[in-house]
Amino acid sequence: MMQFTESAAHGPPPPLHPTLRAWPDFPYNSSSSSSSNKSAGGQLSSLTNAACMEQLLAHCAHAIDTHDATLAQQLLWVLHNIAPPDGDSNQRLTAAFLRALVLRASRSSSSPCAALAAALSDVNHDSPLTPLSLSPVSLAAFIDLTPWHRFGFSAANAAITDAADSFPVLHLVDLSTTYSMQLPTLIESLAARPEGAPFLRVTVASPPESTSPPPTLDMPLEQLGARLVNFARSRNVSMEFRVVPSTPADGFESLLEHLRLHQLVTDPAAEALVINCHMMLHCTPDESAPPPETAQQTAAPIMLSSLRTMFLKALRALEPTVVVVVDEDADFTAGDVVGRLRAAFNYMWIPFDAVENLLPRGGEQRRRYEASVCWKIENSIAQEGAQRVERLETRSRWTQRMRGVGFRAVGFGEEAAGEVKSMLDEHSAGWGLKKDEEELILTWKGHDAVFASAWMPSSLR
Amino acid sequence: MKREHINRGTARHDSMGYGKMAALKDPEMDAGMDELLAVLGYKLRYSDMEDVAQKLEQLDRAMGISSSTEQEDHALISHLASDAVHYNPSDLSGWVENMMSEMNNPNAFDLPPPAVDLSALIHCGSEQEIERGTRDRKRMRTSSSSSSFYTACREDQLIPPSIGLTAASAAAPVFPIVMLDDSQEAGICLVHALLACAEAVQQENYKSADAIMKQISVLTSSQRGAIQKVAGYFAEALSRRIYRFPPNQDCSLDSAFSDILQMHFYESCPYLKFAHFTANQAILEAFTGFRRVHVIDFAMKQGMQWPALMQALALRPGGPPSFRLTGIGPSQPDNSDALRQVGWKLSQLAETLNIDFEFRGLVANSIADIEPYMLESGSAEPEAAAINAVFELHNLLAIPGGIEKILGAVRSINPRILTVVEQEADHNDGKFLERFNKALHYYSTLFDSLEGCDGAAEQVMTEVFLGRQICNVVACEGAARTERHETLPQWGARMDRAGFQPVHLGSNAFKQASMLLALFAGGDGYRVEERDGCLTLGWHSCPLIATSAWRVAGASASSGESAAGTASPSQ
Repeated sequence: MMQFTESAAHGPPPPLHPTLRAWPDFPYNSSSSSSSNKSAGGQLSSLTNAACMEQLLAHCAHAIDTHDATLAQQLLWVLHNIAPPDGDSNQRLTAAFLRALVLRASRSSSSPCAALAAALSDVNHDSPLTPLSLSPVSLAAFIDLTPWHRFGFSAANAAITDAADSFPVLHLVDLSTTYSMQLPTLIESLAARPEGAPFLRVTVASPPESTSPPPTLDMPLEQLGARLVNFARSRNVSMEFRVVPSTPADGFESLLEHLRLHQLVTDPAAEALVINCHMMLHCTPDESAPPPETAQQTAAPIMLSSLRTMFLKALRALEPTVVVVVDEDADFTAGDVVGRLRAAFNYMWIPFDAVENLLPRGGEQRRRYEASVCWKIENSIAQEGAQRVERLETRSRWTQRMRGVGFRAVGFGEEAAGEVKSMLDEHSAGWGLKKDEEELILTWKGHDAVFASAWMPSSLR
Repeated sequence: MKREHINRGTARHDSMGYGKMAALKDPEMDAGMDELLAVLGYKLRYSDMEDVAQKLEQLDRAMGISSSTEQEDHALISHLASDAVHYNPSDLSGWVENMMSEMNNPNAFDLPPPAVDLSALIHCGSEQEIERGTRDRKRMRTSSSSSSFYTACREDQLIPPSIGLTAASAAAPVFPIVMLDDSQEAGICLVHALLACAEAVQQENYKSADAIMKQISVLTSSQRGAIQKVAGYFAEALSRRIYRFPPNQDCSLDSAFSDILQMHFYESCPYLKFAHFTANQAILEAFTGFRRVHVIDFAMKQGMQWPALMQALALRPGGPPSFRLTGIGPSQPDNSDALRQVGWKLSQLAETLNIDFEFRGLVANSIADIEPYMLESGSAEPEAAAINAVFELHNLLAIPGGIEKILGAVRSINPRILTVVEQEADHNDGKFLERFNKALHYYSTLFDSLEGCDGAAEQVMTEVFLGRQICNVVACEGAARTERHETLPQWGARMDRAGFQPVHLGSNAFKQASMLLALFAGGDGYRVEERDGCLTLGWHSCPLIATSAWRVAGASASSGESAAGTASPSQ
């Protein structure tokens, strides 16, 4: 019997047997940097933990994709134990990515079985979520919890009323995942116009539910439209509401066809055409997405550009008065899941953090809200191909795209910025507004979250 | 002559088939008949085995005389192993006799394969009959190629203790049966030959055992997959016993090799991973809230269990504790310091994880050599201790007083938790035949589960790893027989006697183990079950390993109340 105690003085012994697996490396803060930053205290340790969790998730994603079952299982075990879904915002964020990775692993699992389905239903939601489809009033209240959407509504409505200033008819094409929740405030601001409200013609696309995060609306869009028309009438605004079944998956082909026909019979001087793109453009297939089946078979043996580009080109050809683009400012287009996971992890902390002190943990609103955020994470991480619709791009990429097809940025006036600011005053102090020449940007604790930009056809065309 | 032979077989087969149907319709079947074999249509009774052994011996001699050239040997074996022609194993004695009579007829082995249409026709018929019989035995039809063997072994548990093989009626004529799929009968034959051989060994009738062993090797060669492999290991183990050639028991010489084999076992199948997850889960939960924690690992091996726990501790809600690990391992033949290497690697990991870590290696060829003072905390500060024993405690049952001694040592340091992972089997029966029978069942199930795993090399190494256990269970006795697996109830009673109470493994552990299994084990043959707070992992309905957790009965949560050296309450 002999005994020894390991200490640093021994130095490295000869290498172990080569078959011993190495635990993946983690670029932790070295001891020197942590000691120099001691003053940061708890803040630092939580930041460090977030970085470690990101690293564990990235390793796990890689292990799943390379079919390294041993490592993937070990990492999933660790993640389950360090990221309770009811923990702090970092732990919740990690738990959401963990669920997404489990889903991804189950997708690639060679033989889906009953045990897996049971395990997944367990992992996914501890208790059946409160209704995922809401009445218009509840949905509006849900959307108004944070400025995430209100920011875009506010900025876009300002740009839309400006653009429609002298037109007797305003044709608003609303491409949004929020079920036209933007319209009531637009109707009110149009009603307040000194020269009287224009006739409001609204065309909405009704994309399949699979492209929208929950919660969904508990009634058909047509019925919602009828209510909106009634509401407009109560504000002395004449309004028409039309639903065109159309999906971002094919670049809104049927919607574009509808608009082209409509433009043929419309006097462009009398009707302002406004395209409002509220967090739905990122659902159109980008360059990295597989071309749709139909396009492959028929029209496009040579696809020169993505459906995303083709849609923007088609928009430009409609000669709209203004196009408003509101979207989340992140890049979820990386082809490899690890790259996408890192990008998403470093962006999706914002929605988790933003409600940490706003909505009570475990409450119905909190769970609904987190289900909506988790949907995006799961879509981006667990899905591939046409099912992966959360293909966010940064605002600079969208600027590049819009310029590329012949639009120029309009920019927002001080008045628009003022309206957004006063709206933000109703929310947590963590939210902020950045304004540059071309865009408005919603920030959380200084980090860019959502941008809004407005575009007109450039004159040289 | 040839034609006549086939025709005769066909005709007889048909009449047999009729009889089988009749047997199926009769619920009051002879209780002494193997139920499964009856389902398959074979009337098999166990009585005088001596008779068979003698005939096998005669056959052996006859073969030795008549087939003096290799070619003829080959012809015989391929005849035995042929996919086309097989004899009704229900009449083993008659079968042997028939073999002998054919030895006298040199043309017998020149039989051409039966005409395709004929065999297909008959095959269809027998398939239907099997289907009828397996209506409530879905496994037979759904599991892999080794299913028949698996099922046969399962059913062998039903065999009464006095096993013997003899014709149902010695005077019955021989019925050659023509089937395309012969593996089931041959597999069953093989199982019975193994059991017959084991019984001969138990009766110390080595002459018979030797005779049967020769047939086993022939039968084994006709099999494929898990059947062939597991039978091969059992046959080897039996041979070592018969021919007094015990496996090398110098564990210090091959501990490095064992570690390598064990790593392949770890990689290729979920058993060891399950052991680590479930034990780590219990340890992690037991450490909740403690600032200083200490794990004592009774079998450090390559330390594969600990990186995941260290990572989880490093990021646990509430911040990492300081972590001390005591690893116990055998001395190395070349005096290399394997434990130190593992400890150094883990220290490096701890550094990157920013955990306060200390490693201590204890070199001991058996944990029975461990004295309580060696496990005690060196530091004055209170710490939460966990003791981890993965596939280790059963070894101590080979040493008189060994298990009592180590459990006393464990009790003296009053750990927060003692995690135990053991084979869920009873391989410590004093009666050799019982043990053999149970081990054959256990390992054939285990080998069956390995058939789906990817990586041929990993699988082979894993089989070698398990083959060594088989060898130990079957070929060793006394202190050399260390694979003394016992069941959860047996362990529970022992732990209770030693003054421990069970700690229920949470539903969290169950859910996680189920999910990890479902995601990565491939196929839904593996099953996690919860039994009285313990978790088992098994293949289909057969639990194969079990994790349990314990603490000193009546101990207070945080202090070492239980005094060292307290005699166990009862023995």
